[in-house]
Parts: sequence; structure tokens; C-alpha cells
Amino acid sequence: MSEPVLHIEGLTKRFGGLSAVDNLSYTLAGGRLHAIIGPNGAGKTTLFNLVSGLLAPDAGRIFFCGRKISGLKPHEISRLGIKRTLQIKSVFPRLSAAENLWITAQAENRFLHPFRAAAQDRSIAEKVDRTLERVGLAHLAHRQAGTLSYGDVALLEIGMALISEPRLLLLDEPTCGMSPAETERAVENIRAVARTIDIVIIEHDMEVVFEIAADITVMAQGAILASGSPQEIAADERVREAYLGRPEDEDYVEEAAHA
Amino acid sequence: MTHAATIERALLAVFAVGMVAVPWLVPALFNQFWVSVIAEILIWSLFAASVNLLFGYVGLLSFGQALYFGFGMYGVAIGIADFGLPFWPAFALGILAAMAMALVTGIFAVRLTWHYFAIITVVFSLIFYFLALTNKWLTGGDDGINFTLPPTFQLGAWQLSFTDATFQYLFILATVAFCFWLMHRLIQSPLGKALLAVGDNDVRAALIGLNVYRLRLIAFVLAGFLAGVAGALFAFFGRYASASYMFYHVSGEAVVWTIVGGAGSLLGPIVGTSIFIFVREVVSSQWEHHELIVGLVAILVVIFAPKGLVGLWRDWLAALTEREPHAKDRLQVEPTSKS
Repeated sequence: MSEPVLHIEGLTKRFGGLSAVDNLSYTLAGGRLHAIIGPNGAGKTTLFNLVSGLLAPDAGRIFFCGRKISGLKPHEISRLGIKRTLQIKSVFPRLSAAENLWITAQAENRFLHPFRAAAQDRSIAEKVDRTLERVGLAHLAHRQAGTLSYGDVALLEIGMALISEPRLLLLDEPTCGMSPAETERAVENIRAVARTIDIVIIEHDMEVVFEIAADITVMAQGAILASGSPQEIAADERVREAYLGRPEDEDYVEEAAHA
Repeated sequence: MTHAATIERALLAVFAVGMVAVPWLVPALFNQFWVSVIAEILIWSLFAASVNLLFGYVGLLSFGQALYFGFGMYGVAIGIADFGLPFWPAFALGILAAMAMALVTGIFAVRLTWHYFAIITVVFSLIFYFLALTNKWLTGGDDGINFTLPPTFQLGAWQLSFTDATFQYLFILATVAFCFWLMHRLIQSPLGKALLAVGDNDVRAALIGLNVYRLRLIAFVLAGFLAGVAGALFAFFGRYASASYMFYHVSGEAVVWTIVGGAGSLLGPIVGTSIFIFVREVVSSQWEHHELIVGLVAILVVIFAPKGLVGLWRDWLAALTEREPHAKDRLQVEPTSKS
């Protein structure tokens, strides 16, 4: 068997007395769209921050395709092919939509030309055009990203993830704050990408999770509570209790019923 | 091209022609004194541009750029006075000294951001200010180093030097214009877009694979270049170098000029620097507290025009020329973007 895409051993991250991620081990075989769900504060985003190098673990190791990546800097991990989006949508507001994609495609170049006009490289310009087309932002190509609507920013983020040609894509609540139409478009995009790229997605929208994920991992209090197919997770009593809420918590029950 | 961009280009062309005509126009209309004031404004604008490159584009607020200005000055002065260098090698020595210093201090400084960065840049400039002040054998301390100007160009008996006031002005204008042109090219280039990305969101920049530390260091050395050229020009212009120009007060003035003019716009520093130096020259002879005006203007701009005077002008121009489509855009965009 080939190396798993992502392999995590005994990962721990403490913030003061709180263990945000507590001795967590996890293996992502690859080839399937994987979702991580869990209540607020379960440590999902912290896990992503550890994998992408924004935080250094207190203990444990992370391997990407057999290569140890814990301890590397964020840009080094990114250059190995792990890309992620942030929970709070963040693009580069002073750059145009096209330039955001453009700089993402260029970021791995060791040499960034200091004086030639950025718009001159044809092959990258074509890639940028194709990506804009794909996420449906072609008509906004030259708008400053800071003036885009929230949904368009989220689409642009997905475009940035696409154009970087990742091997593993970590999406942190990609559809958070989107309108139903935008969510649909985003889900469509994520599905299309998942055919060629391994994706791990953190998502609160249960409808989205059960629609697209082949595997679901449930986190609670920094550890993995359960892992399995959507059917298994939906049927799991512990998950219902820990994540979907106690019976009196009506919102969650409603959401669970919906799922 | 939009109407606003056309208007700006036209104004820029008029401005450029006006700047070239200064050595003939200004003595005819006013007097020779103002030619040298304008030359000085050009030099200080270039110095402010180095603050602007760091703060306006990369998001690093440096209060220590005077250090590199001072190294540019001393490179020229020591090169000429101690080593007997001709004009161009002394010029190069000043610029290289400034860039080398920026590299050495930058290696430490750009590990930090925001107020920590601001503080460490002040600390570096203070250290070298006091070193320059006390090591009189090398720097002349407060008195500085005076030197005799070597000719800029020489062909047999024919020579051109800064003693010719018109040549001095035009040389300064050409050098400053060239540096601003370089900066313009830089901002449009792949490296420039990467610097803007780091300035906008450093975490995101690292996540897409940009080496944030190295980009900041490159920006810091490039800012050292701009400050170094300004310092070297100022040494030629004043025929001397002095430790007093390395004091952080000088750095702070450039920060104010940049913010008032418009950080993050190429020409912002020129606007800010011009206003403050004109005010100083006009008012200081009548009223010793002219710095109160500086403070008042700075406060007003920060409150009412956070993008500086250039930003204010651009917003106004955009509203004037594209009122209809702009208004429509706003209605669509604002409610969602605030969520």
C-alpha cells in the first residue's frame, strides 16, 4: 500500500490549560472527500493550523505523503502542495480578483521579477482566465478584491485554492455565509475538484457535509470521537449526543433531522 | 481607460513639464531661492517614498529610515573627503552603504511587525545616531563632514558639477524621477504584487506559499536603497554630511509626510512632503511655531482622509467622473460585504 496522504501521530496543542488538540491520531488514505465536523471549540481549525504550519504542535508528528511536515514553515508546507482556505474569508483586498489568482499561481516561484509588468506572462494569464471562468468570476476579473461581495470573495478563495494545483486541499467552512445559490456553486466546484485532489473540509452546514463527503470524522474536545461513512455517523449515538446536541437543544435536533 | 485615469495622466504630464521648467520659470517669477527649496523637496520626497514602500505597500511602519539616509550621506562624504573618490563612485558608496546597513538591520527588524517593528527600527537608528555623534574622528559628530564637490561629468577641460545650480536641480530631478519610475515598475511587477499581498494579509500570503520573511527583507533593503539615494543626493546638495540627519525626528517627519500625502499611493509622499516644506519655508520666517500647523494638518488628515490627500483626491475624482455606475455598484456591494 502506498503512503497515506496525511498521517498524524499523537498530535497535541495546548493553549494555557486547554488542550485544543489532545493526542490526536488520524490517517487520511486519500482518494475520498473527507469532512471533519464537531461542535464549536472541538479543535477543528486548530488541527488545520497545525497541519498548515501556522501553529507548532506541543507534541506529535504530521506526515504528508510519508514526509514529515511538522516543524516546517507555512510557506514551505504550502510549497509541498498542501493548500488551505481560512475560516474568515481572506483574500488580498488591494489586488484585483485576477491578481489574487495570479499571485497565488506565482507564489512558489523563487524568483519574482522585480521590474517586468506582472500582466506579461501569457501562460499564467491563461490559467488565471480559465480559473476565473471556472468559479464564475470572469466578469469581476479587474475589480479590487476588497470591493467584492462576501459570496464572491468565497468563490475567489476557492479559485485561489484551485489555481495553486494542490495535492491536498484543506477547506475551513468554505460555504459559511454564502447564499443558497452561492453554496450550490461552491459545492459543485468542490465536487469537481475532489475528483483529482484530496480534500479535507471543515463544515457546519450539515446539508453540505452529508451531500458531498464520502467519509466523516467527528471531533469533540480535541479528539476524534467517531469516523465513518455518512450513514454510520448519522446513526452513531455518541455523535448525536456530543455533537448534534442533547434533546432539549432544539436547533441541533432540527438540523440533525434535516440531515 | 477611465476618465479619472485620463485626468490624472494629463495632470501628471503638466506636473512633469512644470518640474523640468523650474530652473527657468521659478527665478523669472519668484527668485533663485525657491529652486533650491524645490530641489530639497524632491530629495525629501524620495526619502518619504522609502517610508511609503514599507508602510504603504508592505505594511511595516518604520521610524528609523533616517539611519539609511544618514548612511547614504556619510557614504558620499567619507568617500570624497577621506578616500578622495570622484562623484560617481562616492554616489555608489553612499547607496551601497545604506543598502548594506538595511540588510544587516533588516535581518533582525523584519522578524517583527507593527509596534515591535516600529520600536526596533527606532532603536537601530538611535544606536547609530549616538555612535555617529561620539565617533568624531570618522563622522565629525554634530559638525559633520564638509567636502569639496567633485565634478559630476568631466571631459578634458569641460565639466559639469553641482556648482551649476541649474545642473544641480536637473540632476536631482532626474535621479528622483528615475527612482519613482523604478518604484512604479516594482509595484506593477510580480515582486510588487507579492509585497502588496504580504501587506494585505501576511498569514494568507504564507499559506499560498509566499516567503513572507524574505519578501519583507527585500522590501526593507529596497527602502534602504531609496533612503540611501536620497541621503547621497542630500550630501551632494549640501556639500556635507552630519549625524543630526540620522536622528529619529527626521524619520518621524517622513512618516508624517507620507501619511498626510497618502500612504500606499506612489505620489503620496511627494504631495505630503511638498506641502510641509512649503509651509515650513513660508511660515517659519514669520512665526516660530510653524510645527503646530504640521501637527494640526496631520491630525485633520488622519481623521478626515485616512487614505491621505491623494486618496481624498482620487475618491473625489472617481465620484465626479463616474457618479452613475459607481452609485449602482455601492448599492449592490455594501450590505453584503459588511456581513
